[in-house]
Amino acid sequence: MFPSRHVFVTGWTVASQRQIAQDVLGITIGVKVSMPSSFRFLDNVALADLAFEAEGDSIEEVFYAATQAVIETIASSRTIDTSWERAIERSDRDLSELLFDWLSDIVYWKDAAGVVFHEAPLTVTKAGDDWVLRARLIGAPVDRQTQELRNDVKGITKHLYELKQDGASWKARVVLDV
Amino acid sequence: MKLNTAMRVNRITDEIWEIPASEKSGMLVPARIYATRAILQSMDSGVFEQVTNVACLPGIVRHALCMPDGHWGYGFPIGGVAAFDLGTGIISPGGVGYDINCGMRLVRTGLTLDDVQPRLERLMTELFRRVPAGVGASGFVRLDRKAFDAVMTRGARWCIEEGYGWHSDLARIEENGCLGGTDPTKVTDHAVARGINQLGTLGSGNHYLEVQVVSNDRIFDPPTAAALGITGQNQIVVMVHCGSRGFGHQVASDYLKIFEKAMRRYHIAVKDQQLACAPFSSVEGQDYFAAMNCAANTAFANRQVITHQIRESFAAIFGLSAEELGMELVYDVAHNIAKVERYPEGELLVHRKGSTRAFGPGHPELPEIFRQTGQPVICGGSMETGSYLLVGTDRASQETFGSTMHGSGRTMSRAQAKKAIRGEQLQQQMKQRGILVKAVSMSGLAEEAGVAYKDISEVVETVDRAGITKKVAELRPIGNIKG
Repeated sequence: MFPSRHVFVTGWTVASQRQIAQDVLGITIGVKVSMPSSFRFLDNVALADLAFEAEGDSIEEVFYAATQAVIETIASSRTIDTSWERAIERSDRDLSELLFDWLSDIVYWKDAAGVVFHEAPLTVTKAGDDWVLRARLIGAPVDRQTQELRNDVKGITKHLYELKQDGASWKARVVLDV
Repeated sequence: MKLNTAMRVNRITDEIWEIPASEKSGMLVPARIYATRAILQSMDSGVFEQVTNVACLPGIVRHALCMPDGHWGYGFPIGGVAAFDLGTGIISPGGVGYDINCGMRLVRTGLTLDDVQPRLERLMTELFRRVPAGVGASGFVRLDRKAFDAVMTRGARWCIEEGYGWHSDLARIEENGCLGGTDPTKVTDHAVARGINQLGTLGSGNHYLEVQVVSNDRIFDPPTAAALGITGQNQIVVMVHCGSRGFGHQVASDYLKIFEKAMRRYHIAVKDQQLACAPFSSVEGQDYFAAMNCAANTAFANRQVITHQIRESFAAIFGLSAEELGMELVYDVAHNIAKVERYPEGELLVHRKGSTRAFGPGHPELPEIFRQTGQPVICGGSMETGSYLLVGTDRASQETFGSTMHGSGRTMSRAQAKKAIRGEQLQQQMKQRGILVKAVSMSGLAEEAGVAYKDISEVVETVDRAGITKKVAELRPIGNIKG
């Protein structure tokens, strides 16, 4: 059943694994460091479409949570294999635009490659004035027989779109055109 | 009267309500809403905010309009109509909608309910197989870039040339299924990559293919119905609702970004970022118009290829050719588009977003076959209720830039609808009521439950009483395919 309120999705990024494994644990392989992420769908924001709010304790976490929200809107990630992968790198001075363009990339690859997604490990770092996103979009070709398909998201919209720091956490509000 | 706005709303007639230009800073013209008192009261606050935002856009002529199926949309409300002077006015992707040339198509048959009922399960299975729907669906037509350019420039004409339809179909499609003023070089490779594999696919959301029945007691204008090939007697017809898929959306998204920057250059301020626009006469405005026409033509082609697959499905199940089954097109009409049309003020760019063109009898732009009846208007209701065939009127040309409603309009969000009912439960309930549903996504099905929509009959009654369209027949669903 499609989640309608708070959904907590636990995942991990390869970059986070590497960094934390190396910096904190002093090892390089065999450790998965979870990146908790949360998103919730909003009831009354977009009558004909779908809106969600994603939250995280860091920029990377809120990007990851928003990514998972888009992925789960398209199909149930647990039913999607990992046979397709695409490395994506983007940079922008504006963090909010970076998130918008990255989420739009997910929609683009859905149509251009005919795939749905399992997850997208990612990092967001600062390089000079730019924010840099490096991600691996992982999924599989669409298969009606084995996958739980949901909404054919057509695009990310700027309606009520927001990425902001709220105290110690980061929040993103996104309306998806379905 | 309690409304979801603090703005003053004056009664013009029982079906027309006006918000004076004095109600919001920057309004250049009044805003008019077509609605009964009850529908007006049920409209969300977004309608009032957005239709008055539209009234602030440069070059707007006469009124900003909203039809009775209106609800909140991106920038413009769904159900919005606005016309702009070609010299001083703007063009806005938000006034067209992301799904460029989303529209309705109706195909008639010579079959009756008695003919179809025993084979309905097989028919719906065949349609579900031949008309791909839902996430990631790709069509059977394989195109390279050159062929896709031909689709962008020739629309439904390309389909007929390739054998996906009959030559007689073209006169029964708005603009003969092919808009001029296209330029594929104004479309990004990104947009092409999203659309090149999607010709002949339904998509998801509120898009559908529906097998419907027309009973004698639901024909309101027998002479007009007969002239359009609608005979009643439990006649079977097929309705399609879809558009330009990911391609059209990408065109809109690409130009929204361009327009955000262009607005600063042209010193245009808008009340909502989703109203991003450019002067129609500017390079950016003309580029978007050319790209939008490309997307509109792919939508005509998309519905044409789907029609081909519908004809093939019926032929396979009933063992007769589509010609023998009398599967003529009734009409195909856009409800997300911007077009240059002539009105007393001169040539205007008319934006229709969730609104249908509704030219009356004798209109010079209609082909001979519709000169007596007026242009057919196809309005889709929820999958649980029914849909309507109407015709345009002279009054629409005079009052609403030749425009009317397009559907029933939502009253409940998708998230709320999924709380109200599960997809499997809805599918079972509809089967018990004689409506067979095939859906790719059960959660998507729940989102489209009838409870999430306005009563289409009340919306249709409003435009009929207002005189901007006349109802011809009601079409009741017996089979539905959803993404």
